[in-house]
Formats: sequence, C-alpha cells, structure tokens
Amino acid sequence: MAELRLDCLGEACPVPLLKTQKKMEGMKVGDILVVEIDHSCAMKNVPEWARKEGHNVEIEEVDDGQWEIYIEKTK
Amino acid sequence: MEKKHEYYDVVIIGGGAAGLTSAIYCGRARLKTLLIEKSLLGGLATYTNEIANYPGFPDGITGLDLMKLFEKQAKNFGVDIKLTDVKSVQLRGEDKTVETFRVIYHAKSVILASGGKPRLTKAKNEENFLYDKGISFCATCDAAYYTDKTVMVIGSGDAAIEEGMFLTKFAKKVIVSVIHDVGIMDANKIAQEQALKNPKMQFLWNTVVDSFEGEERLNKVILKNVKTNELIDVTVDGCFLFIGYEPNTEILKEQIKLTKQGYIITNEKMETNIEGVFAAGDVRDKFLKQVSTAVGDGAIAGVGAEKYIAESELFQNEIMQKEKIGLIYLWSAIDEKCRNLLVHVEKVEKEFKDEIKVNKIDVYKNAGLAARLNMQLDVPAIVYTKNGNIIKVLNDISYENICRDLKIINE
Repeated sequence: MAELRLDCLGEACPVPLLKTQKKMEGMKVGDILVVEIDHSCAMKNVPEWARKEGHNVEIEEVDDGQWEIYIEKTK
Repeated sequence: MEKKHEYYDVVIIGGGAAGLTSAIYCGRARLKTLLIEKSLLGGLATYTNEIANYPGFPDGITGLDLMKLFEKQAKNFGVDIKLTDVKSVQLRGEDKTVETFRVIYHAKSVILASGGKPRLTKAKNEENFLYDKGISFCATCDAAYYTDKTVMVIGSGDAAIEEGMFLTKFAKKVIVSVIHDVGIMDANKIAQEQALKNPKMQFLWNTVVDSFEGEERLNKVILKNVKTNELIDVTVDGCFLFIGYEPNTEILKEQIKLTKQGYIITNEKMETNIEGVFAAGDVRDKFLKQVSTAVGDGAIAGVGAEKYIAESELFQNEIMQKEKIGLIYLWSAIDEKCRNLLVHVEKVEKEFKDEIKVNKIDVYKNAGLAARLNMQLDVPAIVYTKNGNIIKVLNDISYENICRDLKIINE
C-alpha cells in the first residue's frame, strides 16, 4: 500500500480539492494520499469531500497555518 | 496498515468550547493531553455570527474569533490537537483507548465533549442533497456561494433567524419556513424584529418540508402547510436547516449511560457511569446549552480528570503497595469515634513501622479513593492488604485487635 504526497502549498480553493479528486482517481484501495495545504478553506472542503466519499481522513497541523490531510482510499 | 499506539494522560473528544476548556485545564495541570476534533476547532459556537452574552466581551465577538482565542490558550498549555474522526472507544478499566483510523490512543482518563450535529428534517430525498448538493447547515461557510440567489431557511430559533439575516447580505431573497402560526418565532425578540423589517426576508408560516427536489443539485423545496395539508412548491438555489441538534453519542451507546434522546447522563462533577470518564458541553443532558455553560462543564471535567489520575496513582503506588503489609484506616475527621481510634492506629504504626505501611483515608475528603477499595464500608474500618490484595476487614477496632490481626497475617 502506497503513501503518496500532493503538494498544494500556496494554492487557494478550489484548486486543492480538484487536485485531490483527480489524484485519488488513480489510486488503489488502501493507498494513502497526504495533501499538504496552507489555505484554511481547503482544510474544510477537502476533508468534507473525502469523508462524504467514505474515505478515512485525518488532519495534522504540521506548522502554524500549515496542514497535512491524510486520506485513505476505501473504495 | 498497522495502527500506531500513543499514550496520553487525558484524551478529550471534541474541540468545541467544552473540549477546549477541558484541554486548557488539563494542559495547565501538566497532564499529557490530546484533543481530537473531527472537523474544525471551535465547535457549534463558530456557526454563530455574534456572541453577545459571553462575559468578558462587552462589545460582542464572533463565535469564530472567540473560539480562536480558546484554541490559542489550549495550545499555550502544550495540548496536542488532532483533527480526525474517532472510530471507536473502549472506556472501561484503567487503560482506556480511543481509536482513529491511523492510531490507537491510550488514556488514563477520557473527556467526552463531542457536542451534536444538526438535526435533519427527515423529509423525502433529503440525503440526496446534503452539504454541497444544496442543503447546508452553516451560513457563515456557504453564504458567499449564494450571492444574488434565492435560499430557504428552515426553522425559527436564534440560529435560523440570525443566520437568515446574515444570508440576506449575499442572497437576493431568503425564504423562511416556520412551523408556527403567523408572527410566532422561537428566536429572541431583537432578532425577530430585525428579521421582520428585513425587506429580503419572506416568511412562510405553518409550513414544514415535505420533500427536496432537484437533479444533481437541489432546486426546489416542497413545503406542506401543517393546517391545510396544502403542498407549496418553492424554487430555490439552496436550503439551510436550523432545526436543532442531536448529540454525537453513536459510538458511546454500548458503554455510556445515555438519555432516550442520546444525551450523556452525568452528575454535577461531570462524571459518567464509567470511572475516569467525564462528559462536558452540549453532549450532556443539561438545562442550558451556551458557550458559558460549556466552559463551566469543561473546567469541572478537566479538574475531575486531573484528580482522578492523581488518585489512581496514589491508590496504586501508595495504598495498594506490595512491599509491606498494608493497614488502611478508613475514617472521618468529623466523627468522634473515628478521631479517638486514630490514637490506636498511630500507636500500631509506630511500633510496627518496619513491617507495615499505614494509610489513612478520610472518606469524607477522599470519597473517590475509598470507593476504589470496592467495598461498602462503615467508618471506622481497617482494611488489611498483602501483596497489593485486600485480605481482611476489621470493624471492631482496638490496639489489641489490630495486633492480633497483624500476628495472624504475618504467619
């Protein structure tokens, strides 16, 4: 099971969400995508979308105002 | 994927006003504290535009700004914060666990401050349009999307009316569906007056949602007049539900005692039915749900967790020690007989100080500690232990009787 990273630093909504959706398409079940963001709006819509899709989500604040969203593809 | 194990003194579930306050108290007590929040910190308060009755802010403050201050204060005290969903909990016993999708967190004490989620109308097709498909719960979050569009608000409480007015800053029209008769709303009077004067707001009285309609996105809400049963088609671009909250206690119900509605039952010390597990804020069965009461709950739960952990350590390391024969004197300082017998106990303590370890528990001051002995005991009483196990209870206390007992235990 692979762990992939997606750099969305400096990118405003909805770019991180669109990139995440695209990247997830090509992933296998069980793979984990780590999305790096620093726009707080992406902290809302990316996890919201991923949870609604049924994936597992965890957000970690790696620095002040910078986050990593862990998404495990479940289906 | 193998889950990681991490160890904390306290794990707090929920990052609203109650959880953050508990975190502040636990952090300040130098406990290793983790707070887990499933979406964004701040909880329900961040959905309120203006908080005018939280003491200390005479000019008012937005819910978002107030919660940012809570968060900063918790972080100042070294609290770890994780933004993720709790998948399951195991709350019984000393080693309690809280599991997320990547980690199993072990805690000595757990504080449940998971609040609630918006209640749904249960009307037809509702689940097809939730969140980004047209049914929303947060005007602050989604208002801008509805610039120059028509939206509906369901409900007439403070949140419905205040958020409805906020929406008029963006939307061209805000239609409010109210279940009550003409002119009756649940919101505070000031909000009601302002709303009725607002030219962009329109009210549909005596109505509830019958169904939600649309293709990909919601474009129509069909209301039903509760008096005439007449169906009313209303074309909208979005709909906001403000009809109350339901507690987030789904994962707790096998372990924690809940009310019929699903709220956690606690006593005034925020203790639940499980030792070392506390609840605070909107998730509790309580009279008033406000930031100010959540803060009070959070403080009590935080201090409760600290005391529970300190007591556990004292109990294990001192009272149930294994080095010597243990003599635990359960007494009450306000009882004369207990005070008189203290002399006997202290005489024994002096004489046998190499062989026995004496602990005195004032059951009035340390009820929790006494309860851990797992016995219904009338004071005064003496409990003997050997190798950390209780072996005998003495009620007829005297110097002679203690000496006799110690002799027997020593053999």
